Amino acid sequence: MAELIQILVSGLAAGSIYALAAVGFTLLWQASQTINFAQGEFVMLPAFFVLVGMNFLGLALWPAVFFALILSLLILGLAFKKLIVEPMLPHGTLPLVIATIALGLLMKESVKEFYGATAQPFPAVFPQKVYNVLGASVSVQDIGNLLVSMLAILGLQLFLSRTRTGRCMQASAQNPQVAEILGVDVKKMVLYTFLINAALATIASVLISPVYLAKFSNGETLGLVAFIAAIVGGFNQIRGALVGGLLIGVIDNLSAVYISAQYRSAVPMLLLIAIILFRPQGLLGTPEGRSV
Amino acid sequence: MSAPILSVRNISKRFGGIRAVNDVSFDVRKGEILGLIGPNGSGKSTLFNCILGQLKPTEGHCEINGKSTDGVRPAELSLMGVGRTFQQLSVFPKMTVLDNVILSGQEHEGSMFSRLMGAGDAGLTRKAEQLIEFFRLTPYRDTEAGSLSYGQQKLVDAAMAFMAGPGIVLLDEPAGGVNLTMLAHLKERLQTYNREHGVTFVVIEHNMEFVMSLCTRIIVLAQGEIIAEGSPEEIRANQMVIDAYLGG
Repeated sequence: MAELIQILVSGLAAGSIYALAAVGFTLLWQASQTINFAQGEFVMLPAFFVLVGMNFLGLALWPAVFFALILSLLILGLAFKKLIVEPMLPHGTLPLVIATIALGLLMKESVKEFYGATAQPFPAVFPQKVYNVLGASVSVQDIGNLLVSMLAILGLQLFLSRTRTGRCMQASAQNPQVAEILGVDVKKMVLYTFLINAALATIASVLISPVYLAKFSNGETLGLVAFIAAIVGGFNQIRGALVGGLLIGVIDNLSAVYISAQYRSAVPMLLLIAIILFRPQGLLGTPEGRSV
Repeated sequence: MSAPILSVRNISKRFGGIRAVNDVSFDVRKGEILGLIGPNGSGKSTLFNCILGQLKPTEGHCEINGKSTDGVRPAELSLMGVGRTFQQLSVFPKMTVLDNVILSGQEHEGSMFSRLMGAGDAGLTRKAEQLIEFFRLTPYRDTEAGSLSYGQQKLVDAAMAFMAGPGIVLLDEPAGGVNLTMLAHLKERLQTYNREHGVTFVVIEHNMEFVMSLCTRIIVLAQGEIIAEGSPEEIRANQMVIDAYLGG
């Protein structure tokens, strides 16, 4: 029982970070039909921005996080939209997908070249304490990661449903032509979506790097897991991406302990195949048709 | 006679060598329900899109309350008091009926700050609820618009067109795909709105029965030109109109 609690808590903590990346995935898809295969690298990079801020500019952790957030908004949000998505999207989804794969490789290799191939220690953002809960060891870091991720997604959900800007963002994603005619600045709303994705990636990066360290290759697994989580939960629903992320996190940890540590990565893949075969819209997603 | 709310002045539209609309002029006065009809390919939709700023006319221009719409973006037309419905369904399918109707009015209200920090409904919930009630959609207030029937979505579309308090509403094939019961309901609601609020309508429609019973005046287009204009009774009896529809 204690072991199960421990696995569930650490699974939910990891899953909540996957959910942040998966939510970003779904937001970009809904707003601009962008499938961002560099999403993993988007989560990898802000940790290095933090390290640059701390090691080269002499900033303390939280100012360095703020510095990383600003850089992420500019590079992963604004520049990504203006320099890659806008020029590529008119040529179709597939060229854009290939462009994002290339972008991911560029980001990964650039970090390896300029910062090094070895894993870099990353400062903890929560106290390194472990508590005993019903016999299980539960770390403050896991609980903190879970809480911060959930608050970020809840805040996003409230922003989208309760503010006028959020409603305009939803409208722009669902019917951009009509939204524009109603006076909504659709281009601005799409830009906001890219900025939100960059902010979510920064939060995920700061939360996950103390656990996995900052390494150029971190994005490989993260991007894949976020993609699977988004499909399993439902590519057109934020709550679907949330559930998908949490589910993958828990299944990953459970299979490492109860099935095989070697095959732990295969289990989410099996789930992905099952979902595509039997419920292609995802667990919480709704079927949608698009004219091509 | 009151000044025209919409003036169409010598509008022509060519696509390469094809003249889709040829020197069309007419006025629409406050409180009128004008029908714009014609066989397929007569230029109705092209003319409609020229009026709404979605196509730039090759020649001519339109005026709303005496102000030219030259260079006005479609989004800015609603600020000039023009509402519209669409031929295709135009609701936001994953938003509730209430949110759909609020959204269609909110871009006229408030500053950037109030968009982010102000009331999420921009203070429009009551007004939206009144319109939802007017179109008898109250049971579906919190239902996702995409899950309603086609006819009900057309009613949501109509409610959205009225949210910004327009003086004139252009309805693009409102009867298309709507069943007879819903159609009678839609017609009755539009007539009531016209009578109670004095809102002017311009209607493009293929359903002749719907147009003849709804409109107070009808303009008939054929091959991009006006071939007849008059009351529904006059149009029914017009030989040129009969010939145009029968290909005579």
